[in-house]
Amino acid sequence: MKTIPAFISATVDQFRYAPLVIQIAVIFTAVAVSMTAIAYISILLNRYRSHRREKKLAALHPLIDELLTEHILMNEELYTDEPVEATVPVGVFDKPIFEKKWARQVLIQRLMQYRDNVQGAMGDQLRSLYIQLGLDKDSLKKLKSSRWDHKIQALGELTNMDIPIADVIILPLTNSRNRELRATARHAYIKLSKNEPFKFFDVATEPLLLWDQVELFRIISTTDRISIPNFAQWITYSSNKSIIAFCLKLVEHYQQLSAVPAVVKLLDTRDHYLRANAINCLGKLRIESVEDKLMSMYDSQPHHCRTEILKAFGRISSGKQVDFLRQEFLHSSDFEIRKHAAKSLINNQWAASSLIQELVDTATRENKLILKHCMNPLIKF
Amino acid sequence: MHKILVIEDDEVMPKIFQRILHKENYQLDHVVNGKEAIQKLEETNYGYDLIITDIMMPYANGFEILSRVKSRKEGKPIAVIIVSNAGNEDMILEGFKLGADDFLKKPVIPGELLIRVKRLLMQYQ
Amino acid sequence: MDSTFWEMLRNIFEAGTFIYGAVLLGTYALLALFSIIAVRSYAKKGESQQVDILLKSPLAPGITVLAPAYNEGLTIIYNVRSLMTLVYPRYEIIVINDGSTDNSLEQLIEAFELVPVDFAYNVKIPTQPVRKIYKSSNPAYALLTVIDKVNGKSKADAVNAGINAASYDYFVCTDVDCILHEHTLMELIKPVMQEPHKRVIATGATLRIANSCEFDEGVMTRMRPPRQLLPRFQEVEYIRAFVLGKMGWSLINCVPNVSGGLGLFDKEVAIRSGGYDFSSFGEDMELMTRMCRYASDNKIDYAIRYVPRTLCWTEAPVTVRIFGRQRTRWARGLAQLMHAHFSMFLNPGYGRMGMIIFPYNFFFELLAPLVEAIGIIFYITGAVLGLINWPTALLLLLFIYTYSVMITTLAILWDQLTFRYYKSWREVIYLCATPLMEMFIYHPLIVFFSLRGYFHFLTGKKSSWGNMQRRGFKQQATAH
Repeated sequence: MKTIPAFISATVDQFRYAPLVIQIAVIFTAVAVSMTAIAYISILLNRYRSHRREKKLAALHPLIDELLTEHILMNEELYTDEPVEATVPVGVFDKPIFEKKWARQVLIQRLMQYRDNVQGAMGDQLRSLYIQLGLDKDSLKKLKSSRWDHKIQALGELTNMDIPIADVIILPLTNSRNRELRATARHAYIKLSKNEPFKFFDVATEPLLLWDQVELFRIISTTDRISIPNFAQWITYSSNKSIIAFCLKLVEHYQQLSAVPAVVKLLDTRDHYLRANAINCLGKLRIESVEDKLMSMYDSQPHHCRTEILKAFGRISSGKQVDFLRQEFLHSSDFEIRKHAAKSLINNQWAASSLIQELVDTATRENKLILKHCMNPLIKF
Repeated sequence: MHKILVIEDDEVMPKIFQRILHKENYQLDHVVNGKEAIQKLEETNYGYDLIITDIMMPYANGFEILSRVKSRKEGKPIAVIIVSNAGNEDMILEGFKLGADDFLKKPVIPGELLIRVKRLLMQYQ
Repeated sequence: MDSTFWEMLRNIFEAGTFIYGAVLLGTYALLALFSIIAVRSYAKKGESQQVDILLKSPLAPGITVLAPAYNEGLTIIYNVRSLMTLVYPRYEIIVINDGSTDNSLEQLIEAFELVPVDFAYNVKIPTQPVRKIYKSSNPAYALLTVIDKVNGKSKADAVNAGINAASYDYFVCTDVDCILHEHTLMELIKPVMQEPHKRVIATGATLRIANSCEFDEGVMTRMRPPRQLLPRFQEVEYIRAFVLGKMGWSLINCVPNVSGGLGLFDKEVAIRSGGYDFSSFGEDMELMTRMCRYASDNKIDYAIRYVPRTLCWTEAPVTVRIFGRQRTRWARGLAQLMHAHFSMFLNPGYGRMGMIIFPYNFFFELLAPLVEAIGIIFYITGAVLGLINWPTALLLLLFIYTYSVMITTLAILWDQLTFRYYKSWREVIYLCATPLMEMFIYHPLIVFFSLRGYFHFLTGKKSSWGNMQRRGFKQQATAH
């Protein structure tokens, strides 16, 4: 009869003298089994942790909401647009739960959520509460954390609450090697800096992502304090194409007529994507004086610049390009070109109504369909 | 007393509305999505004086509700305010085309909201 | 058979299998590592980037949502309604009624107050003729366009018609019977907007099985793993394929395919590549391959991205018969694709597509069922002849088994760590137990149906099923 140690040593011997394949298989089987077990345990722990967190949040949120409702939302003095010197109800938040870090974090997030929904005196009051509860210290501490995602979170909180950050702290972050952090820090700088918010436009060499443009656009167009510069300086001098393209959008948004000469100059650029952007911008600004130039360059342009020129004629709607549009509509072999010509003709309808009628009566079947398509108010494009 | 229906799937905003509009003694009902909104409207036979709605939410979007309310022939007309964080100009235009009476972007200024609500309710009286 | 010959054959076979297996298992280990990096980085980024910023922005790129429908009368209204509640500032929906024989079109006309319009439809990709195009007379439904076309016997033909009518630069392709997450469009466009240098030509996301989830008028109210075994196997398989597979590949920019259930595509590249191929049995992967090919040929520095979040729920087949049809079709599609594009195989001109993705698919997707089948035959023969060293064989089998359970469990873990789907413990335990049975029940089915698909490919069997049966499981699923 075998004893247990003997059995083990026999097994070990068996393993030792087994072929390599078997040895590998045995080792890997053991690894796989333990990895699977670890995975099970991790799933278990993870679910348990988030379950507990959810429960805690479910208790804390109503408490915060109640306090905020009672002491801020109900405050009669806050229903005006003027800044009021209402007292901030710091005392009511003096509860043991708010000494805990996680609860303070939840409070910060809730305050931010409220500030996304209200502004004016009530928004200011929420901000004062944030400061007087010392929550800005929490955010600033997170800003010094070594983890980049914590830093980003902190920047988000500080910008939401409009808390100025010292240049010595934020400027190094704007050059961080982490792209996300770098972009967020620059956005925060633009929002919070008092002296030269747009300085990154001068130095940025990497492309400005579409995603960052969205964020920047929001910051620039919603922060009242930022004074809008003349974007012509970057349109003319920047070597960063994405910055130029972004400035064109800003020119359009602010209807910045002072930048028009720079945009017109950009029509000569060799980059045809930028050129198309410039044409688009001029059309949306409805710069009538540029029509002749657009007309003269039309023939030498690639397809998408041509369609932009046709669209611009429709937007400007001076009535002067009707003959040209008619000619393109009738004679171009390209469907898209004909469609845009037709669309722009319809946009010039005040000057071309008899012409359009004549075209409808005489056009080929397909052209007639295009015209009808463009005239139908139910179809947008 | 005026009856107001708030359609909003955000958690915080209805609480704020509740408080802002509470001041004037309006009676406020709150639903969280398009389906509940339509149910509520039909249950009460469109018995509201004002509707405050978001645009994008589950089941039926704000435009659909707007179109239902505004295309109704019988009964008294109901004022509709759209409150949304979608600041896209096309969307705002779309809303006005469908007959929205007002459009407010989030974040709202409480005093402004109150004045606009009051003004609309007066107009529709 | 003389036994030294057998011995030699066995040695060669075993060495071959060993190398093949080692590379395959090594790849899986790497994928597991890559995918956790990719998934965590997605989650970390996601915390700081609120998607609703895009919602407020006039700079959001426009997206066309294409939903082909064939005899979906039961659910079409709810499904279109649910598409209309997607959270995105600039999009349109094009429903393509692919010559349905039920009353889908009438229902659509009635529910959304549609009227026929004179639409300048430009045939950029040839399809079966379009009968009429409808728009709503109610401005509330202004984003909806309905195309009524002659049945083209394929999803590809229907989607192509939709692409022709699309007005935005990106299109999202989905099945009308798929349920989308409300943030789908924002999640799919985000990787496109965040790419500094490359052109992102497609983005995909994780798909899951809808069978046991609860829905109310086209909105999901409760997510659950399927209760029935066959769909649950598929759920586990999808988690592994998407969260571990596709995410791992996407870290090294080697995504092989964007699933047909949900994907966002660059319209220009898709059109220039010729659109979907109606004769293909795996039109989604086929288009992706052609788009990559087009991009490489035209020196476009492209990328395909994946989002680990589940954005789409699809009804899975519940009977072996219909499941078999689906997998046979997929396998046939794969064989077709490999055959048609074989010039890309190990062709450095096609970059990673030619050097990594294509060879991987060839050896480990296409050949895997064959290798396994040969292995099984080999062992059965050996067993009959009494030439098997049973302890070794069983040990190897045990190793393969534990390894595959580990990989699948890791995939479930990655998914759970980041998103914590499902509500109750029991559901997760059910799900974790499923991989334990996979090798004995589910896997042999897949091998068998794949071989059947290859056989059909080789014999050129006319497919007797059109789009009717492709979604046939739908009716069955609702009957339960």
